[in-house]
Amino acid sequence: MTKSVATFNTLDASWLLLMLVTSANAFIAETAEPSLAITALICGSIAFKGRRIMDYFMELNHANSTIQFFMRSYFHVFQALIFLSDLFAEELAQITSL
Amino acid sequence: MITQTSIETTASTQQFYLNGTGIVNDEPETINKIPGNRAVWVGIFAEMTEFALFFLVYFIAKAHYPEEFNQGPLKLNTLAGMLNTFALISSSYFVAKALAEIRLNNPEKSITWLWRAVFCGGLYLVIKIWEYHWNIDQGITTNTNNFYTVYYYLTFNHLLHVFWASGSLLWAIRQLKFGNYTQQHHIGFTAIACYWHMVDLAWVIIFPLLYVLR
Repeated sequence: MTKSVATFNTLDASWLLLMLVTSANAFIAETAEPSLAITALICGSIAFKGRRIMDYFMELNHANSTIQFFMRSYFHVFQALIFLSDLFAEELAQITSL
Repeated sequence: MITQTSIETTASTQQFYLNGTGIVNDEPETINKIPGNRAVWVGIFAEMTEFALFFLVYFIAKAHYPEEFNQGPLKLNTLAGMLNTFALISSSYFVAKALAEIRLNNPEKSITWLWRAVFCGGLYLVIKIWEYHWNIDQGITTNTNNFYTVYYYLTFNHLLHVFWASGSLLWAIRQLKFGNYTQQHHIGFTAIACYWHMVDLAWVIIFPLLYVLR
């Protein structure tokens, strides 16, 4: 049995960062007025949190490149879609009207 | 000579299994490989596709009913959403810790971390049920407007995922107790951990969509 050493490692740092970003998101939810800048900020936080969880909790940062590509793309695409759907809301409503 | 080789092997093994310390790239289990097994990744991508469809519905509904989606988050309980995010992120962290411990050949510590993860999963479910009751007290139901229909659809679907993923964590605890997951053989455990992280990842998008963005 190997003795585990209690050190502040990448996992601990990731957990702390994720909690801080979540708190900041909640603060924004309670105080900020909606704007494109806020949407961009939130999109950035989604990308950051997703990447952190994928790379360090899921351990994809050195895993199979196909899985890494699809998982990272998912978060890049969706954070872009959140921003674009906000920016072009009227156009989106028009093209999706029956 | 044999002793020297043995010492070197032990040292490198310790390095290999120390996940979370920045030397994960030396770990034979993860480098350029599929974490867990192929089957769980088929499941993960299927679930991610399902959530992707829900997100697309959200974008289209928001474009059609901007006022409902602007006012909707204001009436939701942000504290409940934040606490749920804390619970899920912490549970993911605990699962990663549990995996690190089995790599160090510490099954007992691994089980302890997993119980903490299960507790967080349970906490998430309790908070969510409390939030639904709170919503009903505020007059927020599935039929209130389009925003809340999307809100209930997304969050209840996610709740189900947390429920059965918690069951998979209990299964991992059982396997660890019976010695079926060991330092050398724990692919099933890695697969369960990946699934749990996927559930967390889905919430990372759901939380800002429903509680933060307007």
